Amino acid sequence: MGTGRTQGGWPVTTKILVAEDEPFIVESLTFLLSREGYSVDSISDGGEVVDAMHRIRPDLLILDIMMPSSNGFDILQKIRITPNLKSTPVLVLTAKGQDADRRRMLELGANDFMTKPFSNAGLVAKVGDLLPGDGKAEEQVI
Amino acid sequence: MARLPIGQRVRDARNELGLTQLALAKSAGISPSYLNLIEHDKRLIGGALLGRIAKALEVSVDHLSGTDDPLLAQQMIDLVRSQALPDTDEKDALQLVGERPKWARNVIGLHHKYQEAAETAFALSDRLSQDPTLMELSHAMLTQITSIRSFAEILEEVADLEPEERLRFSSIIASQSDRLGSSAREMINLLSGPRNALNLTSPEKEVDDFIVWHGNHYPSLEDAAYQLHVRLSQKRNTLEGAITDILTGDHEITIRFVADAGQQERMNLVEKSLLLDETALDTTTRFQLARALVEIELADMIAEIADSERLTSEESRRRCRQALANYAAGALLFPYHEFLETAENQRYDIERLGLKFHGSFEQIAHRLVTLRRPGAEGVPFAFLRADPAGNLSKPFGIPGLPMPRFGGACPLWAIYIALSSRDRTISQMAVMPHGERFIFVARRLSKRAVGFGAPRTTYAVMLGCDATYSDRIIYGDSFVPGRISQENQVGFTCRSCPRERCAQRAQQSVRATPASTGPDQRARQGGEDVKS
Repeated sequence: MGTGRTQGGWPVTTKILVAEDEPFIVESLTFLLSREGYSVDSISDGGEVVDAMHRIRPDLLILDIMMPSSNGFDILQKIRITPNLKSTPVLVLTAKGQDADRRRMLELGANDFMTKPFSNAGLVAKVGDLLPGDGKAEEQVI
Repeated sequence: MARLPIGQRVRDARNELGLTQLALAKSAGISPSYLNLIEHDKRLIGGALLGRIAKALEVSVDHLSGTDDPLLAQQMIDLVRSQALPDTDEKDALQLVGERPKWARNVIGLHHKYQEAAETAFALSDRLSQDPTLMELSHAMLTQITSIRSFAEILEEVADLEPEERLRFSSIIASQSDRLGSSAREMINLLSGPRNALNLTSPEKEVDDFIVWHGNHYPSLEDAAYQLHVRLSQKRNTLEGAITDILTGDHEITIRFVADAGQQERMNLVEKSLLLDETALDTTTRFQLARALVEIELADMIAEIADSERLTSEESRRRCRQALANYAAGALLFPYHEFLETAENQRYDIERLGLKFHGSFEQIAHRLVTLRRPGAEGVPFAFLRADPAGNLSKPFGIPGLPMPRFGGACPLWAIYIALSSRDRTISQMAVMPHGERFIFVARRLSKRAVGFGAPRTTYAVMLGCDATYSDRIIYGDSFVPGRISQENQVGFTCRSCPRERCAQRAQQSVRATPASTGPDQRARQGGEDVKS
């Protein structure tokens, strides 16, 4: 669950930043992930993703690579060379299922993909997988 | 044209008449066993014997020999050359034409359909991967589907939704569904939209096909242009002067010389004005005057010829009318019989003909290709034009020498050598993989650049004829029979060419490779079973 992590004995809310320009997709993701106990922020302008990450320090970034005004590849690359952000897991939302794009995203440091349209359960499961010390990872330790 | 195996045709015609082999052999003056060989394609016949058999069978020689449809044989050969057909060679293609012409026609028809479908698929895939509107639409549709799916799953799976949440999510699904519907309609409109948005037979290609179908010869235009020429000759003036007189006098056209005529509408019949380029060569100006005159005088005839179901769009018909006007202008400036006679006397020396008739290399080359009047034919020439980027235009093939319509020709052809050879006419003895020999004549042509820094327009034109005409054309003189060093081993296209070790190979061949394709094999192929 989103509150699986603890710090000094107190549960710490897991933060997820959704970078997506489609308001309805942001709304459904926010609804779903909040229900799982995560704290969800969103941003619709690709050009502001890196700044928002510095500010919010999310535990996971969900990044739509098809956002206008910025190229998902560039954002990913920038995150991976920024010292404070480079270890943040990134789940990429893509409308392109093409292998070349996937390979490129992996090379640039994406941790996993969801191809639109995706199922809610599939998305929630992937988010759980990607968060360290959370959900399944914790169960495996046990 | 190569002799076709006509045994089946002979047999069919004989059976239709109810004749026995014995009876037919007798009236044709041959032995029954020889007739049997003919009927089983063990002997390919022509000449007088073919005539006697046709007469005995009460059919025309053309019908019996398959030459009543020479295009068919040519198309079948072209098909074999351009496609990878396993275990099928040109001989098989001719056999099908000879024995089962209906099937051959069907094969050609199916091949055309296949080509159209392949071009459609190519254009569609190109469009799907390139078209920004389509990309945007498909992205929008995926986004809409994603929202709909997500909220639908929430409605289905989340039991404890607040009533207002339920209402909101349902309304999102409804609005996104509406948007999805309009995106889909937009995409359908885009794909099926204006008929010609995806019309793959381009106007240029339709006109190329039209010209090939007419054999690049239009008897009615020839006659009309000749009558016009006679009328002009009666004026006490040069041909050019007489044309100008009629244009400005009879037709009240104002001729103006301007700096950049190429960029503007050349002739305006409403304003009665003709713009000519003041920097153009004399031969160009002369040709444009002739074209303006035929565009007025022969307008109805040109429109009638171009009003063909083979041309599916107004743009195709417009281009065709232009091509026909060019044809008629050539026919007016270079009258058929005089031009043919001079061409024969000058042995088709294009530059000499150009001097004599005041025509450019390209105008003369074009006119030579049109000398196809039955009973007064010139040497049959193929024609091709290429630019430095390899774009081909105006392809016109002759039997045995199809000109490529798409992609490139063999990079060893003279037309490509000519592109890099300035002020020089290139002649080439081109030997095809199966031994057919053609003489190619090519020259690079540049349209003059006007003004400092203006780019020159460069392209090359090429004529090709069967090497058996080498003694009738001056370009054949360079080649001594049997001198292999003077021959260039070439092909048609890389895809169809079996010369595996060719240094210019650009694409892997798709054809079964004959062990040897030298002259020896040709002699074996050609000589053995042909008798008359």
